[in-house]
Amino acid sequence: MGLPDSSQDLSTEMEVDAFRRIFPLRFFERHLSESLRPDARPLGKARDTIVNPGLVSTADGSALAKIGSTTMLAAIRMEVMTPSTDSPDEGCIALEFHMPPICSPTVRPGRPADAAPVISKRLSDTILSSGMVDLKELCLVSGKAAWMGYLDIYCLNADGALFDAALLSAVAAFSNLEIPVVALNDNGRIVAISGGKDEDNASIIEKKAVNKEKRKLTLKNIPFSLTCILHKNYILADPTTEEESIMDTLVTVVLDASDQMVSLYKSGGTVLAYSSAVKSCVELARKRAKELKQILGEMDID
Amino acid sequence: MEYVNPEGLRLDGRRFNEMRQIVAEVGVVSKADGSAVFEMGNTKVIAAVYGPREIQNKSLQKKNDHALVLCEYSMAQFSTGDRRRQKFDRRSTELSLVIRQTMEACILTELLPHSQIDIFLQVLQADGGTRSACINAATLALADAGIPMRDLAVSCSAGYLNSTPLLDLNYVEDSAGGADVTVGILPKLDKVTLLQMDAKLPMETFETVFALASEGCKAIAERIREVLQENTKQLEYRRAA
Repeated sequence: MGLPDSSQDLSTEMEVDAFRRIFPLRFFERHLSESLRPDARPLGKARDTIVNPGLVSTADGSALAKIGSTTMLAAIRMEVMTPSTDSPDEGCIALEFHMPPICSPTVRPGRPADAAPVISKRLSDTILSSGMVDLKELCLVSGKAAWMGYLDIYCLNADGALFDAALLSAVAAFSNLEIPVVALNDNGRIVAISGGKDEDNASIIEKKAVNKEKRKLTLKNIPFSLTCILHKNYILADPTTEEESIMDTLVTVVLDASDQMVSLYKSGGTVLAYSSAVKSCVELARKRAKELKQILGEMDID
Repeated sequence: MEYVNPEGLRLDGRRFNEMRQIVAEVGVVSKADGSAVFEMGNTKVIAAVYGPREIQNKSLQKKNDHALVLCEYSMAQFSTGDRRRQKFDRRSTELSLVIRQTMEACILTELLPHSQIDIFLQVLQADGGTRSACINAATLALADAGIPMRDLAVSCSAGYLNSTPLLDLNYVEDSAGGADVTVGILPKLDKVTLLQMDAKLPMETFETVFALASEGCKAIAERIREVLQENTKQLEYRRAA
């Protein structure tokens, strides 16, 4: 049963599901030779993507992003802090990516998933280096008070392309974010106030725009990412967990809305990527960025 | 502070024996063997069940011919209104234990020896009654996973404020300092699996509040049954197609 050439005969006798489990690579290669994948997608196409903003009412900004079955919930809470002395006019963003045990059978309780801290760091670097959020917008009183945004992303269902879905949910949460209204009270401390009570608070500083209304951040250079798998001379966009477990060479390209490359990530893997392969990945990422831009645009209008 | 106004309406406009709106859905986490989302008003909980599967930590196994049931309860950092929480505090550990023991009572563990059933609960939004929402979500998820159970385990909470028993407290009513009774029952068998209370209550009042909570549990059980039946119908349509 283990002889390589006899698997041709076995494939006609065996059930499809059994063949998929026992010879996963051959199962996929049979599909790839027809330029298709088992879920009937063409090689360069990503799965259906949905973004839903504002789901968590206890957070200042939130969004749920689904790429196929991969589901990410991102939420931002703003707290006031003292800015550091090197950058007294800037606020701060703290990002954390969690993979709770509900998301995948491979995550065990008490032991964080291997992928979680890696994705956390990559997301943090990508968002800060893309310049999407101008930290100066998070300043309240120069040198004394600034906003600290705690962004928490929870993976609720892990089915491949975790980085892409997490980045999309983070970006959507930022565009859904409304900075809470605050005022400076008599002791010189910032207190949160709910709208409509401005008249009661005698020591409001007029020049701060945040006091008048809840405002949104201006986001520029929004990053969009696409993860691809390289296998022999095929390039598969937006892999599922099954595909990721069989073929190990992943390339992630992050572009921003003006087609500039924000980040490129390939960490090892059996397939070496020649520049032609990298260029094809960037092309696929460009198309995907257009799709995602449109999806985010529709979300904002709602 | 007035939690029940003279006309009998609470802070959110409900009457004393009205529950918050329930939204329940099965099969939301595709990677899990069974999963469910359960919402009671603003409290939102996701439960995922993985199992029966091979035991991962043999040292935890106590009874050889019964399945091992593990439960983990955790709250998302943004789930409460006030502050960021530490991920694993004492409350989460206590709730994990309580929910595990409640579900263990209703799963037929003797039918699945040498295996492990994992129940994971993630609270996305907390507005009072997270314990109950978690038990209800876990029941739905276990049913979705096809794990044999004696009965559905359903749970509801009730309290006593302004001399009125109140069903299904939200966060504001819960933190008012009155009594909070959480009841978990197996409706068809009419047995109590979970009963927790803090603060003081005279015995007769306790019995009234307990009866109110049990009524709430039965209503939730009806709703859970409807959701499961609807889900089975959907599965049947898809299979027939």
